[in-house]
Amino acid sequence: MTYKVTEEGNISTVFLNGEIDMDVTEKAKEVILPIVESGKEVHLNLKDVSYMDSSGISVLIESHQKALENNTKVIVKEVSKSVLKVIMMAKLEQILNLE
Amino acid sequence: MNLSESKDFLVSTGSLKEVRTFSREVFEKINLPQEQKDELVLAIAEAAQNIVKHGYKDVEETNDRMEIKISLKESELEIGFFDKGKAVVPGNVQHRKLDDIKPGGLGTFFIKQIMDAAVFKKDQKGWVNHLVLTKKI
Repeated sequence: MTYKVTEEGNISTVFLNGEIDMDVTEKAKEVILPIVESGKEVHLNLKDVSYMDSSGISVLIESHQKALENNTKVIVKEVSKSVLKVIMMAKLEQILNLE
Repeated sequence: MNLSESKDFLVSTGSLKEVRTFSREVFEKINLPQEQKDELVLAIAEAAQNIVKHGYKDVEETNDRMEIKISLKESELEIGFFDKGKAVVPGNVQHRKLDDIKPGGLGTFFIKQIMDAAVFKKDQKGWVNHLVLTKKI
């Protein structure tokens, strides 16, 4: 997994790339959670994420919940078809902010 | 079509990508919709992850290996997982309730969604656990 972060005003966009499994979840959390904890709105762009398993879904849930605690939000954007299927299998499409 | 392929992997999170690569290579030989192949790869990866995460919980590093065997006989797909981790008590293998939104506890749910059956067998010669996932394809 690789990533890129861009900033515009109070919005940080995290572009994740590759496959998100248990081997990289700590790295993903190290990138996303500090931004959320700073109170910024985070846009997670998943257009280049080709695979995500339950560990990756956990990162999305944790980010979402941490955002609620910090009175901000995480918006999950441009979800690839294969990742959307896993999100829907977990019945999270109504819980996460998907765009 | 009949097929049987197996491969062993170091028990480590770093092996999960290899597990997916092996599974994808095997499913390339089977005529199935890509969507179904992706689901099967996810189920296999989740079961392998469970071995690393739960079978070797509190074990920082190990040289142990796990074996995955993918077999297809007629239209019955059988995927076997062999490991030497902590003995699994099948009754304790449960996923979290879906409406209890929190990180974790979804891997087993995904496996149950994708596969027809998941059974721990007692025939684990030399291994501690032998999980068998089956699906009619």
